[in-house]
Amino acid sequence: MNRKITPAKVIMAFILSFLALTMLVPLLNILAKSLSHPDLVHGLKGYHIVPRGFSLINYQVILAQPIVIRSVLNSLFITVTGVILNIGLTASAAYVLTRPKLAGKKAFMYFLIIMMIFDPGIIQEYFLMKNIGLLDNLWAMVMYKAVNVYYLIILMRFMENIPASIVEAATIDGAGHMNILFKVMIPLCKVPLLTVGMFYGVYRWNEFFHSSIFLTAKSNTVLQVLLRQFVVQSDTQVIVGAANILANNNIAQLDNGSLKAATIVVAIIPILLLYPIILKYYTSDVLSGGVKG
Amino acid sequence: MLKSLKKDRVLYLMLLPTLLFFLVFHVIPILGMRLAFYDYRIKGDNIFVGLKHFEKLFSTPVFFQILKNTLIISAMKIFLFFPLPIMLAIMLNEFRSGPFRKGVQIVSYLPHFLSWVVIAGIWIEFLSPTTGVVNLFLNQLGMESIDFLTDKSTIRWVLLASESWRSIGWDSIIYFAAILGIDATLYEAAKIDGASRGAVIRHIILPELVVTMVTVLILNIGFFMNAGLDQVLNFTNAAVNSRIDIIDTYVYRVGLGSSQYSFATAANLFKGLVGTTLIVSTHLLSRRLTGKGAW
Repeated sequence: MNRKITPAKVIMAFILSFLALTMLVPLLNILAKSLSHPDLVHGLKGYHIVPRGFSLINYQVILAQPIVIRSVLNSLFITVTGVILNIGLTASAAYVLTRPKLAGKKAFMYFLIIMMIFDPGIIQEYFLMKNIGLLDNLWAMVMYKAVNVYYLIILMRFMENIPASIVEAATIDGAGHMNILFKVMIPLCKVPLLTVGMFYGVYRWNEFFHSSIFLTAKSNTVLQVLLRQFVVQSDTQVIVGAANILANNNIAQLDNGSLKAATIVVAIIPILLLYPIILKYYTSDVLSGGVKG
Repeated sequence: MLKSLKKDRVLYLMLLPTLLFFLVFHVIPILGMRLAFYDYRIKGDNIFVGLKHFEKLFSTPVFFQILKNTLIISAMKIFLFFPLPIMLAIMLNEFRSGPFRKGVQIVSYLPHFLSWVVIAGIWIEFLSPTTGVVNLFLNQLGMESIDFLTDKSTIRWVLLASESWRSIGWDSIIYFAAILGIDATLYEAAKIDGASRGAVIRHIILPELVVTMVTVLILNIGFFMNAGLDQVLNFTNAAVNSRIDIIDTYVYRVGLGSSQYSFATAANLFKGLVGTTLIVSTHLLSRRLTGKGAW
């Protein structure tokens, strides 16, 4: 906007840089900590972003723990299967609810909005999972939040804007609704579907509260729950293993903070992989400096 | 009705899985909330007890402390946080689109995508009394380290700060997009009048943001009863729990922790009814004032 360099602008540049650093430095610090050599890591302070020495031992140790691998696989299963279910249900519901002459459309919308604003709460959800036998079954977390009404409405806004003539042309060609959804609508809504899918995916990967309640067996632990036990509640045993602690062997002598840092990095990596796609599709207009009409 | 059911049966079939999902995973648990009016029995039928659990709830002093915590934490997060994303958006707009502005944006949106478990892990390090940046800075100033996470007087501020850290960038997007949408002729007119940058911000940008501000503020007030379960669960500890125990954590602890299912359901139903009333009324108010609702 303003090309002149004024004192106010210098102060603003300073504030913005400071803000960005408060977000960047802690993340880089954790990465540095996880990669530092165990003998040198004690000198690493919170503002250091370069590893002290270099070692992959922390990653080797955590990735050698069956529970870590198990929890990563569980999280991946819930996220991938869950997002497929999310997209399938959300896209077909959005398609149906944007058909102009559908009888009962208004009633369906009221029903869905009530579903959006009234949350039954954890106790009844727990009872439900127990009663239908999904407690301690990964499918409980796949089924949980299978449709987010807010995302459904976002998708409906896009589908409403697709000219009716396109759908009519396909109908005249003899295509049924399923065909129109898969061959016409979904290709036309690629960007909003990808965006919504991304949000579903981030939600599912990051979810920990319901997972910790629905999935209690050790073999069903998801990564965020394991991370919470280890990092937030400082339960070293869940990762290092009681036997290793008792024997006080090499693993138990590693720096706990570095092991925690490595586990955090493992939990962030999928988010960082998705992040460029989120930026590309969701925030591209505010990043490039123009608003799409 | 029957005729259209037949004609559009494929459409209704396509909607069926979604409806079934909500019936099973949402409607059944909502109906299950009637447990608040019953005594829970492990075997046999639950016994109807009317408002007993609600009477108990409102005569439990701890519940009022929890209600107070919920309201204070929500108020801090809604009102004290409110100006921050607006300030960020306005400052970003003062810089030309380029690597600096883009860089700040890309970095500031990122925390929104991290789980509260990860954020808590980062903040525990950040605020560590021995190696954390904040305390190292305080030590440089000659002050003693503060253990922010176990200090009753600082813990709510930690919640506010970490929430701001997580959301300031992401929440600035809506304001930044509104600023980008401002009619360029307004700026040109201001230029001809010789207005300073400060005057442009005060007299053009801020007035243009009012509708967005009102919408955001009203809709956030609708979520007053949700003070942030995931966040509190990851930042809480025995030393400070009494200051940040909120309705959601209380329901979880009393209900699933100590198996007082009926009593906890009563607390949850109370929260749900107040929360729903708030969401619906703020939605209607926002739609009336600004034309934009919550959905």
